[in-house]
Amino acid sequence: MKVKTQMENDIAIVHVSGKLMGGPESENLRNEIKRLLDEGSKKFIINLKGVPWINSTGLGALMAVYTSVQRSEGVLKLCHVSDRIQSLFMITKLLTIFDTYPTEKEAIESF
Amino acid sequence: MEEMVLPSEFATLERVDEIMLRCSHLAGLDEQTSNEVAMAVIEAVTNAVIHGNRLDKDKQVKLSCRWGPGEITISVQDEGEGFDLSCAHDPTDAEHCMDCSGRGIFIMRATMDEVEFEMSRDKGTTVKMTKCHSGTPEGGDGGI
Repeated sequence: MKVKTQMENDIAIVHVSGKLMGGPESENLRNEIKRLLDEGSKKFIINLKGVPWINSTGLGALMAVYTSVQRSEGVLKLCHVSDRIQSLFMITKLLTIFDTYPTEKEAIESF
Repeated sequence: MEEMVLPSEFATLERVDEIMLRCSHLAGLDEQTSNEVAMAVIEAVTNAVIHGNRLDKDKQVKLSCRWGPGEITISVQDEGEGFDLSCAHDPTDAEHCMDCSGRGIFIMRATMDEVEFEMSRDKGTTVKMTKCHSGTPEGGDGGI
């Protein structure tokens, strides 16, 4: 799994690619969000365009970063959520937790 | 029933996704049903690799899949010590919705028609899951 961040004004856009299924690789995402929070970022978009599917452990990693951002009084949004991940969000009722957008542009404009 | 023997590592999950999509295609499942089956099996294998075998590379996960008209059945077996099923809570409850774990069994039950657990000290934990469907298998009954 690869994690790459670009800044769009004060919004940190974190591009994730590969399989988000727990394990050491999920730490990359947690560490990157922690680094950005330490630098003072408050607005985050996780772009999941490169993630075709995740499992419950990957969901746990997303919940962990969501909670970290919320504790720091920040806002986290998701975009480009695949149909399969969307189904998992629906089953687990996480659609009510995560703010999701079809495109990065729409996610940026929502701030 | 024939079975595949898989190592207890994260890379196995990606392989299982490919295996299940191939089985679902042969079993005649539509895309949505196929994705639901893959999601459930990945959760069962995730549990087997992480919780059952605790990522011990000397321990194996056994996967088997059989299909016929209207039904696909998958079995996942680990070498773990089992767990207390009554401790599996509903992750959609307000009390647990922000938890970072505990959604695997819920996802299996939500996506499959039947989910059964068998635990024994000498044989580990076996999850048997069945999904009904309206597709027609290519070449009749089959399995891996």
